[in-house]
Amino acid sequence: MSKILVIAEHRRNDLRPVSLELIGAANGLKKSADDKVLVAVIGSQADAFVPALSVNGVDELVVVKGPSADFDPDVFEASVSALIAAHNPAVVLLPHSVDSLGYASSLASKAGYGFATDVYIVEYQGDELVATRGGYNQKVNVEVDFPGKSTVVLTIRPSVFKPLDGAGSPAVSHMDAPSVQSRSQNKDYVEVGGGNDIDITTVDFIMSIGRGIGEETNVEQFRELADEAGATLCCSRPIADAGWLPKSRQVGQSGKVVGSCKLYVAMGISGSIQHMAGMKHVPTIIAVNTDPGASIFTIAKYGIVADIFDIEEELKAQLAA
Amino acid sequence: MMFGSADALVQLAIKSRDPYVAAAVHELATGITKLELEALICGTRRTALAIARWEHTPASVLTALAGVHDEAIELRLDKNPGTSSSVLSGLYEEARSKDKAGLTKLIAQHLNSGTEVLRRIALHANDSECLLALSKNPAANAKVLAELSERASGSDIAVAIHKNIAQNASASAELLTRIFDASDVYTQAAILGHANCLAWLIAKAAASEEVLMMRVLARNRRVSKESLQRYAACEDAGVRAGVAANALTPVALFRHLIKDKSELVRREVASRVDLSEEHIEALSRDDDIWVRQRIARSPTTSLDVLYRLAVDAVADVRRAVARNSMSTVHLLNMLAEDKNAWVRSGVAYQANASQRILMKLADDKDVDVLSGVANNPNTPQSILKELVSSNEADVRRGVILNKSAARNTLLPLLEDPYYLHRVLLVHNPHLQAQDKWSLRDDPDFQVRFSVYRWAANICLKMPDTFLVTK
Ligand SMILES: Cc1cc2nc3c(=O)[nH]c(=O)nc-3n(C[C@H](O)[C@H](O)[C@H](O)COP(=O)(O)OP(=O)(O)OC[C@H]3O[C@@H](n4cnc5c(N)ncnc54)[C@H](O)[C@@H]3O)c2cc1C
Repeated sequence: MSKILVIAEHRRNDLRPVSLELIGAANGLKKSADDKVLVAVIGSQADAFVPALSVNGVDELVVVKGPSADFDPDVFEASVSALIAAHNPAVVLLPHSVDSLGYASSLASKAGYGFATDVYIVEYQGDELVATRGGYNQKVNVEVDFPGKSTVVLTIRPSVFKPLDGAGSPAVSHMDAPSVQSRSQNKDYVEVGGGNDIDITTVDFIMSIGRGIGEETNVEQFRELADEAGATLCCSRPIADAGWLPKSRQVGQSGKVVGSCKLYVAMGISGSIQHMAGMKHVPTIIAVNTDPGASIFTIAKYGIVADIFDIEEELKAQLAA
Repeated sequence: MMFGSADALVQLAIKSRDPYVAAAVHELATGITKLELEALICGTRRTALAIARWEHTPASVLTALAGVHDEAIELRLDKNPGTSSSVLSGLYEEARSKDKAGLTKLIAQHLNSGTEVLRRIALHANDSECLLALSKNPAANAKVLAELSERASGSDIAVAIHKNIAQNASASAELLTRIFDASDVYTQAAILGHANCLAWLIAKAAASEEVLMMRVLARNRRVSKESLQRYAACEDAGVRAGVAANALTPVALFRHLIKDKSELVRREVASRVDLSEEHIEALSRDDDIWVRQRIARSPTTSLDVLYRLAVDAVADVRRAVARNSMSTVHLLNMLAEDKNAWVRSGVAYQANASQRILMKLADDKDVDVLSGVANNPNTPQSILKELVSSNEADVRRGVILNKSAARNTLLPLLEDPYYLHRVLLVHNPHLQAQDKWSLRDDPDFQVRFSVYRWAANICLKMPDTFLVTK
């Protein structure tokens, strides 16, 4: 029997969705029914996350009582180190996030664990654990193996792995975080970047506009339509480059991967490789384009060869009716 | 030292052993050198396949690749938007002789397919997918569509074919009229919205009570004033919105629509450019944010109203003022202090933003604001020079896209780590030939291709001139 340890992440009293994705990834690594997925949640209020983490695929939940409700790299490093010593997991999965960047490499290097960051595929090839990450500016897939390492720490790219459906009833245990001298102090919480904008990697319904909208003055009618339909408005790169929508709304290779999206309506987007890199995994893609040969139709579940403005008018009329 | 002539450029490309560089100069070469370039392009099957699929591959290379007679390459050529009409014609013969319906479908929908090929598909293809693809292709002319319609009549796919033809810009008035009566209401609505639809058909259909038809006709500029009057009283908001959007709607009618119960209608009214001050004033106080947003964006809105909307509680409304082409420097200065970054970004991209405003915004931390400053042609060069070393690729790209960025400002970006930026610089009019040529051995194949393609284009446009620089 081997164990896979998942470290849950929370921020400002909310469990981050990536925690559940890691549980999905961990279950994909089970080699036999005996293998166990262990989830740890660290912080002074960590108990509060027990219900949200009692999901299908979790065998055991460890609540680590720390001195602060917020993330602290020293406390997390010491706690995860103690968890590894106590449970001897073969794999430790952390979110590839700013929190993990604060301690994961130090944790792995001090104890000589195998280590890879920003992993988006992880699997056993025979007995060999293989993690795939990007290289050369995401142009090549690099497969990393860890010969001779009995514990491997991986930071996992968010919005790639699917959470498992359904509730679970894991065994819950408690432990105290080791007491350590913390070298940092939380002073204030500042949201970075387009702070007041929505995080498009977490939404499930997206309407996306491309150069087909023609002019900036046309953007707003699609904002209205997206609002009315309950979608988040996103875009291709030329639209963000022109400043017509915030950079945080750009989908694609140099924008964002819309990992949680279930329905993607592409309006006037040709479907370049770079755009599709951010959305081709979406289960239902609807594309509207006047060019029947547009590449976007090759991945669309429903394709509409039409003018986006006609579709926009008709959809609005339907929604108002 | 830069290359001296088209021949010298081709020789350099051959020497580079780089298939993408070879593709870039292929059009310049003749005889044996052309064959040498083609040997490089087809050096490995993988490269040949990648080049056949690549959207930037020059048409002459695609033509050469058609001569390889490899089915996987042919499939990519059928899909490539750059494939020429003559190559597609050859590929059609091949697809037809081997009865490859999948390939014929790709040719049927290709925008470069010639009329003769499309006509033959209309007359001979038996696969319904091919015929449906053809019916959507605007490259099919009126005659081809008429032949297709005739052939499809009575078949299972007639309805679908006619629905596509109704939306195909090439369909003639005669064909549209012919299929109108036998079509369902969706196809009829599409026919009524078609630019070639005859006036008498529109007049006849104007009496219809069908909502779908009325929605289309209410927006149609060829519909009578009486019909617009009737539509303005219609129960369906989509129909009334069409009237509100129609440029021919008389003032008397939209005055009444300003108070319409549906915001869909009021938004359309607010988008009009022929509103009186009184209408603008009323709409600028509407409860719906998108009505106010449209007024805030309108070039006919007075400055007084713009000042009021500049302090609207909703950021989208304030942003619209920031993007309004009539906003003054004073107003923009005020909005440059807005607490919402997206509003400030609207100012940063504004053509009316003064140097002083842009200098203030250059201290912002938000990437959208800084990208706007980087993009804005009014931004002083000194600021652009600072933004060149931003950690944000989007901001650096803003400088590259800035129409006023001077050569000295741009030079450090020739070493930008993001290859897209180096590709964009090859197309930048402010850089000199030697600057661009310095990228010829770039590690990225797209950059190398762009440099050689740029040089090849010069040779093609001015075969007898130039090309020796240090
Ligand atoms: C290194 C690199 C990274 C990149 N990263 C990204 C990225 O992250 N995201 C991204 O999106 N792009 C990215 N790009 C750019 C990408 O290559 C394309 O240029 C871009 O995606 C094209 O955007 P588009 O589809 O909106 O525009 P276009 O390719 O111009 O397509 C517009 C489409 O609209 C259709 N159309 C026009 N009018 C209408 C109408 N009235 N109704 C219906 N359809 C209409 C046209 O038929 C066309 O298909 C990147 C490029 C590079 C080189």
